[in-house]
Amino acid sequence: MRPRASRITATKIEAQMAPMIDVVFQLLIFFMLTLKIIPVEGDFNINMPLGKQAQESNEIKPPPIKVRLIANTDGTLASLQMGQRQLGNDYLAFDRLNAEIGKLIGRRDNPFADELEVEIDADYNLHYRHVIAAVSACTGYISPQTGKPVRYVEKVKFAPPRRPAAG
Amino acid sequence: MRYKKTSSTVLEPDMTPMIDVVFQLIAFFMLVTNFEQTQADERVKLPSDQLARPPETSRDKVLVVNIGFNRDKDGEKTDPEAYVFQGDDMIRVLDYGRQLREEKRVAQALYGPEGNREMSIEIRADAETPTGMIQELIKLAQENGFEKFSLRAKQLVK
Repeated sequence: MRPRASRITATKIEAQMAPMIDVVFQLLIFFMLTLKIIPVEGDFNINMPLGKQAQESNEIKPPPIKVRLIANTDGTLASLQMGQRQLGNDYLAFDRLNAEIGKLIGRRDNPFADELEVEIDADYNLHYRHVIAAVSACTGYISPQTGKPVRYVEKVKFAPPRRPAAG
Repeated sequence: MRYKKTSSTVLEPDMTPMIDVVFQLIAFFMLVTNFEQTQADERVKLPSDQLARPPETSRDKVLVVNIGFNRDKDGEKTDPEAYVFQGDDMIRVLDYGRQLREEKRVAQALYGPEGNREMSIEIRADAETPTGMIQELIKLAQENGFEKFSLRAKQLVK
């Protein structure tokens, strides 16, 4: 018997590319227009509950390290002090503060390291950038070997605001 | 006269390379676009610091407060008063207590009676803001039961 020749011919189905390209371009334009180039931001945590009294316990907490920032009338830094120590007002003042805190913390296995607290006491009109520099100098430094931050003090708080005298 | 029969041909350009490139571009923009930063206000010129590193785990209960100055196109201050930017509104820092009361109510409705204590206030303040204003804001927030604060700064890469 003679085999019947099949009459089915292969047809190529071509996908419609136009709608897909439309949508893809719409997406591309959306992402291009919504793109905002923002520098990387980080933060410093501070924990400041209001009026919470110290719990009664036998543990003796070390007193907070007092960092005083005095401002000029234009808001620039006039003087930086840690306790009674004058650390100057130049760009190295915060490095000195960092070194002083480092000396206080001492060795890494210092048992009081976790308990230490820094109190930032700044003049009312002082530019906020100096406070950030002080907080940063107290909380740690970037290790030159690893490039990673090494933490000193985790607990930072603010003293009550020094409002300018009325009149 | 005899004409030669020629069959008309439609030239179809090869779309594959173009689609490849376009998909690459879309993937790039999708990865680069950061929707988390939508609460950041461009008018605020943050201070920069080396130790300011992004947190390893993102916080889920955050209230972002942008504090800055009215500046012109050149970045010069047009008004010495610092304001809290809330969308198009500008609120004096000392008048922000009412908004904080509202935020406390919302936090408690969303996360329970201790919601405001669990919420962290992220302060994005201009580098030239008087520190007293930040302290006043923290005090107003404390009065409304907020306890956790974070001071935002640009990461300085040396």
